[in-house]
Amino acid sequence: MVATGEYAAELRGIAKRYADIVAVDYIDLDIKYGEILGLLGPNGSGKSTTLKIILGLVKPDSGSMKVLGINAEEDPVAIKRLVGYVPESPRLYEFLTGLEYLDFTGDIYGINASDKKTRIEEYLEALDLEGREGDMISSYSQGMKQKIALISAFLHKPKLLILDEPLNALDPKSARIVKDLLRELAAKGVTAILSTHVLEIAQAMCDRIAILYEGRILALGNMEELRKKAQLPGSNLEDVFLKLTGTGAIKEIVEALLK
Amino acid sequence: MNLKNVLRLISVDVKSGRLIRAGIFRRYKERRIYQYLLYGGACIIGLLVGLAVGNLYSRLPVSEEKTLLHQTAQQLFTSLPTIVLLYSLVFTMMGQIQRSGIKVSIQPPYWLPITWGEHTLAASFAHIIGLPLASIVLLSTAVFSLSIFLAELPLATITILALLASAFLASTTTEIFRVLQVRITGSVYKSSGKVAIWVRFLGSLLFLVVFYIVWFSISSGSGLITIIETVTGVQGAVWFFPYVWLGMTLSSFINGLTVQTIIFSLASIAFILLLFYLAVKFNTRFGLYEPPAITVSKGVYVPKTSLLGKFGFSSLEAAVIRKDFKAFTRRRELMYTFIMPIIIIIAPLMQYLGMLGASVPSEASLFLVAWILLAPGPLMAMMVGIMIIGEEGSSVWLFYSSPITTRSLVKCKYAFMCILSFAVMLICGAIGILVTRPSLQLAFTLLIESTFLIFALGAVSLRAGIKGADFVETPRPRMVRPLTSVINTLMCMLLAVVTVSPLIPYAMSLISLPFTIPLPEIDVYVAISISAVIAFVITFVFYRMAFKNAAEFLTKAEV
Repeated sequence: MVATGEYAAELRGIAKRYADIVAVDYIDLDIKYGEILGLLGPNGSGKSTTLKIILGLVKPDSGSMKVLGINAEEDPVAIKRLVGYVPESPRLYEFLTGLEYLDFTGDIYGINASDKKTRIEEYLEALDLEGREGDMISSYSQGMKQKIALISAFLHKPKLLILDEPLNALDPKSARIVKDLLRELAAKGVTAILSTHVLEIAQAMCDRIAILYEGRILALGNMEELRKKAQLPGSNLEDVFLKLTGTGAIKEIVEALLK
Repeated sequence: MNLKNVLRLISVDVKSGRLIRAGIFRRYKERRIYQYLLYGGACIIGLLVGLAVGNLYSRLPVSEEKTLLHQTAQQLFTSLPTIVLLYSLVFTMMGQIQRSGIKVSIQPPYWLPITWGEHTLAASFAHIIGLPLASIVLLSTAVFSLSIFLAELPLATITILALLASAFLASTTTEIFRVLQVRITGSVYKSSGKVAIWVRFLGSLLFLVVFYIVWFSISSGSGLITIIETVTGVQGAVWFFPYVWLGMTLSSFINGLTVQTIIFSLASIAFILLLFYLAVKFNTRFGLYEPPAITVSKGVYVPKTSLLGKFGFSSLEAAVIRKDFKAFTRRRELMYTFIMPIIIIIAPLMQYLGMLGASVPSEASLFLVAWILLAPGPLMAMMVGIMIIGEEGSSVWLFYSSPITTRSLVKCKYAFMCILSFAVMLICGAIGILVTRPSLQLAFTLLIESTFLIFALGAVSLRAGIKGADFVETPRPRMVRPLTSVINTLMCMLLAVVTVSPLIPYAMSLISLPFTIPLPEIDVYVAISISAVIAFVITFVFYRMAFKNAAEFLTKAEV
């Protein structure tokens, strides 16, 4: 059963190592219902691993976690029923058509036939996939595959969306639709956790942003709180991010490369 | 042509088969010993065989036998290039069929400064790496060590060079075939529209059937000597066919025909260069060709109601079964699975129909009937069962992230494996009954035993397939770890014998043996019942074990 508490996800002391590499280093994180949380961080900072841990794709070495009020250790399948997930590079079944793939995922989540038909048709139209839905996915561009992955994540009306670089390869119109859709869904109480490297997107879309570095949360809050933490009032997210992650010496690096 | 680029590309192809699993890819260390084990082993075996035969030859007194052995060895050397050419073609073409159809398969980095010539040469060499090269190493060391005893070192040297040239000839032919096949099938898909999927599926099956009919026709006979004699005989008759020119070079050399030797060897080199030139040209022309999209459905989308729901499958389970059905009829590398029943049924049927020359004695005919009716279904169950999880490849993330329970995973995968195996059993059984016309009781007994074996061996293999799943997809999908596959095969063989063992007295009663075996008399229907109980126990135990493995598989997802 889904709890109606304050938090859609509660992470306590979550840690994950791969051999000698610390992917996630004892993080605590509370994500409210209806919130859009952005995870930012340099490559290898633990964003994707954190998302996978929340979904149950990666088992943490230590810590405890509740997702949608469900203890992840006790009933991971119940969590998966309520979550929509888009991985960083979604590998779809290329031998299926886009329509067959969506039909397949609709059945996986137990959507009834009439709802499935309505929703699939609406999403295909909205994301400009009409006319190509009967073609095999192997012939799709990266952006079209991303759209199919996004639709399959939205299809069953999940309570929590876990999106790893959701706007990757999308055309501007589709990206805008997805952004607006996420905002509307958030207003209806759907929580979204997304990772991105596009700081403008994070700044525009997210209620709160968590900046990860070497598996730890360096800073967490809305734009104003992050600016305060970085002691950069009035700055944009790029400056805040570079200051907090200690990767601000860009000018020197570029000059060295040009030598 | 930059040969260093060629070597770099071959190296990429070799490395593409690395086991990339979570936890071991950091600070990756190459275990070169495994890479060279195959070739080192082949070298040692070849050397031992050569030394053994050579030793036997040297111990023989000067006699007719000694002369005959010398002549046979010379004949063998002459036929080897054509034999190597034939099986290299089989290996490299089958390698191409198995190669991953998805776009992650290693493509030459087109955006790098690499010429089509370098790419084609690298691809041709890469086709040979593995078993074809190991067998050439084995043959070459055997030929070389034997030639020392025969005092035929010059002949051995030319033979070894001819073997290498044959393998390269085969792989260049395969490269041309590969490029043309992509281009031609692209045109077929474009013109056939919606039915393209079935054109491809049935076309692939037809190709395999024709291929194996030809292969069995060539390779059947009473042993190596017959093959050698056939090859040398055919070589002489079709001397104008460029593919036998390497063999003709050797036979001319043995017969002391210097001019012919030079002509055939030069002609062979020219032919290889011509083929390579063609392969480069085809790659330049069609190498970047992308087959057109296959449009499977058009018009209004109507969700289909599945019959599977009426048999107790949830919508999730039915969706996975339907998806797997599409995978096995659409993915080229999975169509390879159908080779097994085709091989099983074609050779005995050809023998039965007198296509392989000899007629079938009555004892053998019972064995052949049993083989055709009993084996295809269970062997299909073994093959499909062990690969049904690993075939998900890197799309397996969907299973990890979807609300599938261990019970559902095992149930739908097992059900699909059974459905496919029963279909194969029924098709092969129907053909077998029509051709061999066994008694009703025999046909019933064999088909019911086949059913038991499908259930039992399917459960055993599914459990192994979950435990040993391998999701590496390049250069070809592995699907299951080799060691798991070997152990599972042995286990299935043992359990199959146990399952059918109550039927042994019945089988013996159908064969007229010159001696008697003291076996208890048992009614055939009682024997079938005992066999059913054994099959049920095996199925139950391994199906339950599969749950445990599936639970581990789903919770230890590391993608």
